[in-house]
Amino acid sequence: MNLSLKEPRISTLAIPAQDQVRTAQEVGCDMGLSEKIYRNAGLIFPLLATGGALTAAGFIDPYLAYVATSWVIFGLLGLSLDLVWGRGGLLSLGQTAFYGLGGYFGSIIAINMAPLTGNTLVWSLPAGAIFGAASAGALGSIIFLARMGPLQATILSYTFTLLLWSLTQSFKITIGHAVVGGDNGLSNIPGVVPGFGQGAESAGPVGVFVTVVIVSAAIYFLCWWLMRGTFGRVIDCIRIDPQKTELLGYDIRKYQVASFSLAGAIAGLAGAMFGAWANYLNPSIFSVQEALLVPIYVLVGGLGTLAGAFVGAFAIGGLSYYLGGGAVGGQTTLILGIVLILLVLFLKNGLVGAVGELWRRTLPDPNAAARDAGAVLIDPAVLEGILVEAEEQAGPAKRLATVDLYKHFGGVIPVNKVARTFEPGRPYSLIGPNGAGKSSYLKVCVGIYMPEAGSVTVGDVDATNAPIFERVRQGIGVKNQKPQIFGELTVDENLSIAAFARTRDRQAAADVSRRILAMLGFERQAKVQASALSHGQQQWLDIGMVLCLAPRVVLLDEPAAGMTNEETRELSSLVRTLARHTTVIVVEHDMEFVRTLEGHVTVLHQGQVFAEGDIAALRTDDRVLDIYLGRREHV
Amino acid sequence: MFRVVNATGGYGKTVIIRDVSITVEKAEIVALLGRNGVGKSTLMRFAMALIPAFSGHVEIDGHSVPESPARRAKAGVGYVPQGRYVFPRMTVTENIAVAAETNGHSGRVAVESALREFPMLRPKADDLAGGLSGGQQQVLALARALATGPKILLLDEPTEGVQPSIIDEMAGILKRINRERGVAILVAEQDLDFCLSIATRAYVMEKGSVRLETDRESLRADRKLQQQLLGV
Amino acid sequence: MELDYLATVLLSSLSSASILLIATIGLAVVFGLMGVINLAHGEFLMIGGYAALTATRYGVPFIFAIPIAVLVTMAIGAAVEVLIIRRLYGRLFDTMLATWGLSIAFYQLAVMIFGTVTPGIGMPQYSLKIGNYSLAGYPLLMIGVAMLATLFVYVLMTHTVYGMKARAAIQMPEMARAIGIESYRVNTLTFAIGCGLAGFAGAVLLPIVPATPSMGFAFVIKAFLTVVVAGPVTLTGSALTAIGLGGGASMTASFMTSVAGDAFFFLITAFLLWLYPLGITARWRSKM
Repeated sequence: MNLSLKEPRISTLAIPAQDQVRTAQEVGCDMGLSEKIYRNAGLIFPLLATGGALTAAGFIDPYLAYVATSWVIFGLLGLSLDLVWGRGGLLSLGQTAFYGLGGYFGSIIAINMAPLTGNTLVWSLPAGAIFGAASAGALGSIIFLARMGPLQATILSYTFTLLLWSLTQSFKITIGHAVVGGDNGLSNIPGVVPGFGQGAESAGPVGVFVTVVIVSAAIYFLCWWLMRGTFGRVIDCIRIDPQKTELLGYDIRKYQVASFSLAGAIAGLAGAMFGAWANYLNPSIFSVQEALLVPIYVLVGGLGTLAGAFVGAFAIGGLSYYLGGGAVGGQTTLILGIVLILLVLFLKNGLVGAVGELWRRTLPDPNAAARDAGAVLIDPAVLEGILVEAEEQAGPAKRLATVDLYKHFGGVIPVNKVARTFEPGRPYSLIGPNGAGKSSYLKVCVGIYMPEAGSVTVGDVDATNAPIFERVRQGIGVKNQKPQIFGELTVDENLSIAAFARTRDRQAAADVSRRILAMLGFERQAKVQASALSHGQQQWLDIGMVLCLAPRVVLLDEPAAGMTNEETRELSSLVRTLARHTTVIVVEHDMEFVRTLEGHVTVLHQGQVFAEGDIAALRTDDRVLDIYLGRREHV
Repeated sequence: MFRVVNATGGYGKTVIIRDVSITVEKAEIVALLGRNGVGKSTLMRFAMALIPAFSGHVEIDGHSVPESPARRAKAGVGYVPQGRYVFPRMTVTENIAVAAETNGHSGRVAVESALREFPMLRPKADDLAGGLSGGQQQVLALARALATGPKILLLDEPTEGVQPSIIDEMAGILKRINRERGVAILVAEQDLDFCLSIATRAYVMEKGSVRLETDRESLRADRKLQQQLLGV
Repeated sequence: MELDYLATVLLSSLSSASILLIATIGLAVVFGLMGVINLAHGEFLMIGGYAALTATRYGVPFIFAIPIAVLVTMAIGAAVEVLIIRRLYGRLFDTMLATWGLSIAFYQLAVMIFGTVTPGIGMPQYSLKIGNYSLAGYPLLMIGVAMLATLFVYVLMTHTVYGMKARAAIQMPEMARAIGIESYRVNTLTFAIGCGLAGFAGAVLLPIVPATPSMGFAFVIKAFLTVVVAGPVTLTGSALTAIGLGGGASMTASFMTSVAGDAFFFLITAFLLWLYPLGITARWRSKM
């Protein structure tokens, strides 16, 4: 591996394409033990920790086991927040609300139903989870469907918790044997009864500890598996760039509500376990202190690490236990407060994050391969093959038509009644001076801006009011001006997530992304983080992601920006090939590039179609020169 | 009078401009030409210390000015950024007054003279700047820069998104300011006519460096250079 | 008789709303002008309360204890800005968490220094009689104080050079520096003023809300929600929201129970956020 690094050019060029794929795989196999452990740390260490906890249960002091049980439960609550915050990007202060609701509801069910089976958990845990999921689903729908800003979403979730806090103070109701007594709380909650039948007995502190550890570990591994798969990948993409994720055709709000509900279910289940542990619940579970402790667990452990929530809960619980006095007395609060400030200022990634960072430095840099990437050379035959296949799968190219499309921002009218129809065959270029409305026009076609009047039709379907992801599913593929890539993901993951949006099948997505990877000549960079690529390479990766969608209409906004002359030539040939199979519209500043496209050119000026024709005619048109150079004799 | 010496800078680790040196003499108007993305705006931001300098510095009257935007402003650099950046939730009057007061001039006097200089702002004096049209915001940004009492004005794409009639008016105003107050001007532009109408000298940038220095006459005469330069 | 009762309820609700506004205004300045959610705002209020209390114990008349409280909180606020807040601009949630840490640290410090129970200072003894009902005079005085405080902040922010600089520095930080504004210094001062206003609130409300380590806590949540619901035109927005939410909650509380009052407050907040995801003043064209 080191050898090939020294002679990058030769090796990439000398090895035939199919062998290059193998090289990438071999590089993967070369991984050292340390690297293998690092990659699966989220599985290995929690397994060890679970094993350790279960072993320790054999000999620890029952009181410590009793206290430590609550740390595990808080860790599980932290995990639910880490899902929505660390992975989903929304700081929810409503997790304790779902936790409390799940706790109350699960406990009420358990009080009434447990006598039937003896076992309590089969009632309380599912009931808590379902109720937690339902309430989170309702709140999440409001937050995500109303497209609230992050601050407002956080505040709304906080308000939800506070509302429950004040309401439960005086909320009194008797349901069967359960008596909810306002601020007197709900007592007589049955403890953890692992056995079944009339004679089953409550577990002792150690038994409860073991049960809680097993349940929490099961949930953790479920989350780990889920967040490692495609679902988790899409959630990551939404956090990094929601717009791009939607531009790939994902209905992002559905994913957001789903993951929020999942987190609600976990919180609700944790609450039900807490009820069984404490045998008592009262409205303080909804209090401000509780709500704000959860983000601290997550931050201390490490945001986005999932396992960090447990580490944080144990670190803080352990600290409080060691300092004596519990979470409110003594100097614990003072120390907690200072720890929190220091964490925010200096240890952004928490304990797990910090250890992971130190460890990562000892490993070979996966991004090293980014430096030896050669110039992108696209084999027209390979591209042709990909496009033919795309046509077989996604159907023939579609027309894109706009009728009297109109958009204004205050007094500025970037799109002023533009009526154009674009058809497959040869590329269309939209040119015009700065501020002519080219990009705005594309954005209205895509659905990033909603027009005030006029219509957009994709194929035969009216898409004027369709959300972005629906237009993408109808066949629109867009590359915006700046490269929109998911920087934290690898090159390979970027392409696969794009391909998966269309194929909905992991194997098929892997095939598509491997072909595009080979076409771009990025095999050796497959495991490189996309953010480590150069600007030009990022542009190519973005184009590759668009091709993964097998779009029937392709919109490219200044694709040549930031590319070298060679790259621009490659791009031009790509666009021309693309136009033989799909409808292609390119917004461009670079007139030389437009000339090489040999297509139809539309000049926009002040939001309107100013002139049309081929580039040779337009280049000699004095009116066009005028608006470009700001000469005003003719305007 | 105003010199940018061996400027190398960019964003993050990416170098956008490399070893650029330009000079603007007292009361001179100089144009900075080149296509989109050649580094004109970056050079302007370098001059204003809004991006970190990898190397190079800025001199006024032979003295090097520290790398702080506020210090540069106080040393006499007035900046009109691309995209205007007026303070949107402040009135037109406040936008001008705050610039003047910060630099030790009377806000009242500055507002009066600005409204005299730019009569189109007068009916809008008490409106929030965010509600003005693009052209009006551009004029306000210029008025604001002038209120700081600059020795040199840096104008970044002042004609972008501005109506032709206002562009002509603006050219007139700039020439008058230059003549009456002796303010030097460095203008980064794509609008060639606008530049030819005010500047006497020009630098042409390409790929982050100055490719050539030329004067108005040769630029006006050489149509080939024009086409090449702007990619037309 | 009915009318008397109604008038009493109205007046006392208005006075509760005013108290909320007094407690909120500093937060509104800090959030509205700097985009910083200061969760330690309540503790600054508490510090103001204790500072005023301590001053009166040393024989300073109450009226002069108030400016002392303001100065103490401003100084602490400036230190906090330089040490913590400055490093976190633009990281909204990090500032929230850091200031929350600060809040619990201050709380615990206050417990250690002053204990959990401290004698309040007597409320000035005058009252207002409406029919058969009598209302304490000092809380009613708060209506005037709230109006004066709002007016003061409005004038400070719109009619002084400092106010213009502060607004410029937060609206376009880079551009503000490019016209010569030393944004760092301006931001420190703005944060200190916000904290000073909290200190003022703590001191002026001392006869009504006795100083305890947790006194800030009672205010900060509602103050915080008020500011977020208010949106970008912070001052006017906060005044309206405080009157609407605080007054409404107080009315609900007097006709029903105090819990119903709180529920009203949180429910209406949630509803307003749903209607106006970016705050009620998001589309207003006005400066403060």
